[in-house]
This record gives sequence, structure tokens and C-alpha cells, in this order.
Amino acid sequence: MKLTDQERDGIVILEPRGKIMGGPDASLLHDKLYECIESDKKRIVIDLARVDWMNSTGLGILISSFTTLRNNEGVLKLANVTDKIHSLLTITKLVTVFEAFDSVDEAIGSFK
Amino acid sequence: MKKPEISGNTIRVPSDQAFLPNVDDFLETALREYGADESVIADIAISVSELVNNAMMHGNKASPDKMVSVTVSLARKTATVTVDDEGYGFTPDTIQDPLADENLLKEVGRGIFIVRSLMDKVDINATDKGTSVSITKAI
Repeated sequence: MKLTDQERDGIVILEPRGKIMGGPDASLLHDKLYECIESDKKRIVIDLARVDWMNSTGLGILISSFTTLRNNEGVLKLANVTDKIHSLLTITKLVTVFEAFDSVDEAIGSFK
Repeated sequence: MKKPEISGNTIRVPSDQAFLPNVDDFLETALREYGADESVIADIAISVSELVNNAMMHGNKASPDKMVSVTVSLARKTATVTVDDEGYGFTPDTIQDPLADENLLKEVGRGIFIVRSLMDKVDINATDKGTSVSITKAI
């Protein structure tokens, strides 16, 4: 997995690419999210458009980020959730937890 | 530390998550060459990554001297993948229900549930010499 990030209107957009399956790759996303939180950047969008798939480790990172942000008055939103990831969110009932948008622009707009 | 070994339709890797991509490349290459479609490949790859993670971290307790074996069998439009560890057994009945309200925001505990949801058949055989999990999926 590779990870890039950008900031728009004070909102951090994280763009993981590839597969999130555990090990060092997964730590990359986890560490970046916590770096944002520690820098007081607490409005975060994860753009999943280029994630081929993730397993329960990836879901665990999303949950950890969601709860940590929520406990620190922050917000995590998802954008461009692929069919494969949406299917996982549905079977695990996590679709009821995360706020998801069809595009990054829509996710950013929802903060206003 | 031991290194990944490939022999025929089996890959063996040390119990270090850094080797997960080796297993995934081996698996996805075999499935793609057999003609499986990308959605099914992803379902099987997700499931195998769960089982290998479990084998490395829970079965072999992340001991780099203990190996995880993944054997891929493709025949009659069906994929069967068997993941073996060298640990001390695994009891799936002790896994909590990940859909229960009190467990929904837990960061772990969904692996086997996801495997059972994505695969057609899951067989778990735990002994004091290790755990062997076989998954089957029509492709």
C-alpha cells in the first residue's frame, strides 16, 4: 500500500492505494492518521478510490481512527468507497458507523 | 530469519506480516492464470490474508522460526486454499459475535467472520501440532 495526503479548506484528505492487509503497510495509514490528530487536524477524509481491497486489519484501522477522532472532537468521513469495500462494510454492519460520500468534494462539502 | 519458499502450488513464509504481500502475489497470480474474475480473486485474497494473519499472530505467536504454509488447488472451476500453521490450536467457538452492538466498534475480531461470509466453505482443523484451515470458493 502507498499513501499520499493533501489538505483542502483545513480538511486532511488521505489517499491510500493498493491493498490494506496488515503489517508495515497498514501501519503507514495508522501512523499518518495519528500524526494528523496530534497536529490538531481533526477533520479527515479517507479517499478509498484506489484501494483494491482491505481485510479486517484495514477495517480495524478505520474504526480506531473513527473512535479516536470522535473522542477528540474530530470527524472521519469516507469517500469513493469501492463496491468491494462497501460489501465488507455491509456484512460487518460497519456501514451503519461510517459516513460515506460518492466523492471527495461531497465529503469536504459536508463539513460546511 | 527463514525466507519464503515456493514449491509447486505451496508457498511457505515465516511468521512475519512483512511477508503477507509474498503470499498475496503467489495466490493472485495463480488465480489470475486460472481465469478467475477480479471480484472473486479479491474475495479469496481477503480471506487468505485473514487466515495467514491469524496463523502468524495467533497460531505461531509471531515466532519467526515458525512457518505458515499456503497451498492453492485449482480444479473444476473451484479454488481450495489451505493455510497451515505450527502453533498450538485455535478454537473458533471462542470468537465473539462481531455484529453484536457491544462489539461493533472493536478493532479486532472480524477475521473469521469475514472469511465465512466470503467463502462457500470453511473447514477448521485444530490440533496440538497446529491449525489447518481450508477454504473453498467457486470461480
